[in-house]
Amino acid sequence: MANILVVDDEPNIVLSLEFLMEQAGYKVTTAEDGEQALACVESTTPDLILLDISLPGISGFDVLEQLRAQATTERLPIIMLTAHGREVEREKGMAMGADDYITKPFSTQALVEKVRQLIGEEAS
Amino acid sequence: MNRRGLPKRQRLIGLWLLLSGISFLGGAIFAALLDAQLAPQGWQRWVLWLGSFSGGATIFLVGLLLERMLFTPLRHLQVQLARLVANPDARDEHPPEGWLKGLGPDLRRVHESWQADRSRLATAHTEGARSAARIRQELETLLQVLETPLLLCDQHRRVMLFNQAAEDFFHDQDGLGLGKRLEALVPSPSLQQAMSQLPQDGSPRELLAPCDQRWLKILLRRVPGSEGETLLTFTDATASWSNEMGVRADLAAMLTPLRQHTASLISAADALIQLRQQGDRSAGLCERLEGVIQSEGTTLGDNVARIGQLLDDMQHQGERLSPMWSNDFWQALDERLDPEHRLITPIGMPAWFKGDAPALIALMASLIQHLSAYLPESGFEGEVCLGNKRVYLDFIWKGDPLPERELAEWHRQRLEVLPLSPTVADVLRQHASDTWSLADEGSGYSRIRLPLPATERVGAPREAMPPRPEFHDFGIADLPHPDEALANRALRSLEVVAFDTETTGLELRRGDTVISVGACRVVNARLLASETFDYKVDPKRPIPAASTAIHGLTDADVAGAPPLDIILNRFRQYVGDAVLLAHNASFDMLAISHHGVDFDLPVLDTLLISRALDEAIDGHDLDSLAVRYHLAFPPGTRHTALGDARVTAELWLALLPRLEARGIDTLEKLLALQANAFDKADGSA
Repeated sequence: MANILVVDDEPNIVLSLEFLMEQAGYKVTTAEDGEQALACVESTTPDLILLDISLPGISGFDVLEQLRAQATTERLPIIMLTAHGREVEREKGMAMGADDYITKPFSTQALVEKVRQLIGEEAS
Repeated sequence: MNRRGLPKRQRLIGLWLLLSGISFLGGAIFAALLDAQLAPQGWQRWVLWLGSFSGGATIFLVGLLLERMLFTPLRHLQVQLARLVANPDARDEHPPEGWLKGLGPDLRRVHESWQADRSRLATAHTEGARSAARIRQELETLLQVLETPLLLCDQHRRVMLFNQAAEDFFHDQDGLGLGKRLEALVPSPSLQQAMSQLPQDGSPRELLAPCDQRWLKILLRRVPGSEGETLLTFTDATASWSNEMGVRADLAAMLTPLRQHTASLISAADALIQLRQQGDRSAGLCERLEGVIQSEGTTLGDNVARIGQLLDDMQHQGERLSPMWSNDFWQALDERLDPEHRLITPIGMPAWFKGDAPALIALMASLIQHLSAYLPESGFEGEVCLGNKRVYLDFIWKGDPLPERELAEWHRQRLEVLPLSPTVADVLRQHASDTWSLADEGSGYSRIRLPLPATERVGAPREAMPPRPEFHDFGIADLPHPDEALANRALRSLEVVAFDTETTGLELRRGDTVISVGACRVVNARLLASETFDYKVDPKRPIPAASTAIHGLTDADVAGAPPLDIILNRFRQYVGDAVLLAHNASFDMLAISHHGVDFDLPVLDTLLISRALDEAIDGHDLDSLAVRYHLAFPPGTRHTALGDARVTAELWLALLPRLEARGIDTLEKLLALQANAFDKADGSA
């Protein structure tokens, strides 16, 4: 079973995301901030990360940069999730190596589709 | 002096030769008759013949004497007087000779005292006007540095003054010029109406008028205590207008659906909760309520996304963001960073972008200061890359990209030099922007990227022009009303456009055509230095070498120039309501006719005017007249269209006092004089 790491400091959205991903047949780990997320990646090596940008402490962009800098996580699928909907931020995320960028609010259906697609790509 | 003056020289010479001839012939016949009847011998015969010829010989010799001693000196005196009237500084080339020699001292005296009077007048004028000039200069400087486009019009809506900002503001329109009507610049009936109804007390009126592709906000007020003069200032209201009517209106309109959908969502959720609390298990209702929550949630999401987009757009159209040319930006930034050394080398293609220049410069200075530990001291390259809707301002250096953590920390930095000390993140938000650092793959270089809104402008900015030598002429207000019969206008007050054309050859009726049009403007008997018209024309046929030898224009010089009909349209616009002036105007008028542009204006011809003034003097070509009237022109400018137009204009100014001295002081009288000369020239041709 594929493992998904959800990094978000907003418990309401984490609750729904966790439920939705499990319903879609994935194992879900959660992290509340960037430090915790990096530690989680060390210990569990997820198959995909849903990463919020505005996190307490180090930002999602920072986490993304650090993960992309390590050989083991260089190609790990990462979807940026954010309430910052500005186009320039989407561009920044993509420029820094995110696989996709989804702004809140989002359609859960589309998110699940995107996750399936990225993990499927990874598996094939 | 009578305008007709001496009888025409040739006629006089003819008469004289005829008289001498007849007398000789008569003498010969008379002598032959006497000789036959009297048959004198020896010295008597000699006396008879000599006596008979003496009449003819006397007439011939007296004529010769008169020509030498009276007529030639008179002609020279005439030339000399013409020179002196046109220009008191002209040299005494022909001191009176023959029987007029006695006039020499008198003439010299008149000449010298005129020179002395003139220089005394000039000195008095200079001294008297010095303080006025200083005040005027200060006011001019003030007007020219004023960033508000400003125009002053007289009561007939003719432009008397405009500043540099106005020239920049209207730089892609041809209608701005001293003496030109305001309608040529802003053809809006509402503006004309507003100007005619302005209150006399100077209180301002505001007006929104379309002009070209823009909406202009025009503030106009009558200048109190003037003769109906109006001061106008302009603002480009297009951006704020479209902001008000566009994004802001859209944004306001978003609120209602947002309220509706939120209300539906909350009430549906409440209903669902109550349903569960009551333990009501009617699955159908639950399902419908859940459906409502789901669909309203999705709609809300869409609306919020749309609002985000609108806010983004609004920031891009922000009024504080103005167009900037990247080269100017790099230079300004470089001067700010380190005035002594050049730190930034601009590379790539320069481009336009929108930004708040002082804020961006403060931002960049803070970047270099704050992240100096990561950035090289040796300097950067600055490159502008074009994206779809954005322009990327990139700083490039040899080394590693900046860590995101450091950038995030920098974003929290306050920019103390800016009002209200915004953070870097605030300034970035103002520009709907963000920054990130990335490595240029495999080259060892990295860059920090700052996306900024692009503008639609293309091409480098106009080169900074030297300040205009003339940007106002208050004498324009004294010109007669343009609708009054032109005929009664004083010559001195005429607005005259002197023009000249260069052509592929002289046979205009056999296919030769224009390759260059030059013109300059005379207002209130002043030649305006910068109000010129100078265009080359593609003749669509090769230029013969013989013509190139005259005007110096080759096929390569005119390649790519606009065709004649376009230039003539522009020229017509340039001429406006002025009177046309040319030397040998019939040639130039023929050159510009039959191209669909109507030049139905009075035409003055310096060749005809000069002939009419000095019937007895030979040499009325432009070169001879330039020498005669001591006209100065920079070397190399003769035989170019603009150069000849200028000489023609100066010639006109030299002829003006002579015309006035003869009572020819209105356009009507001058046209009559000119027509008279034309008839004669035509008759003798």
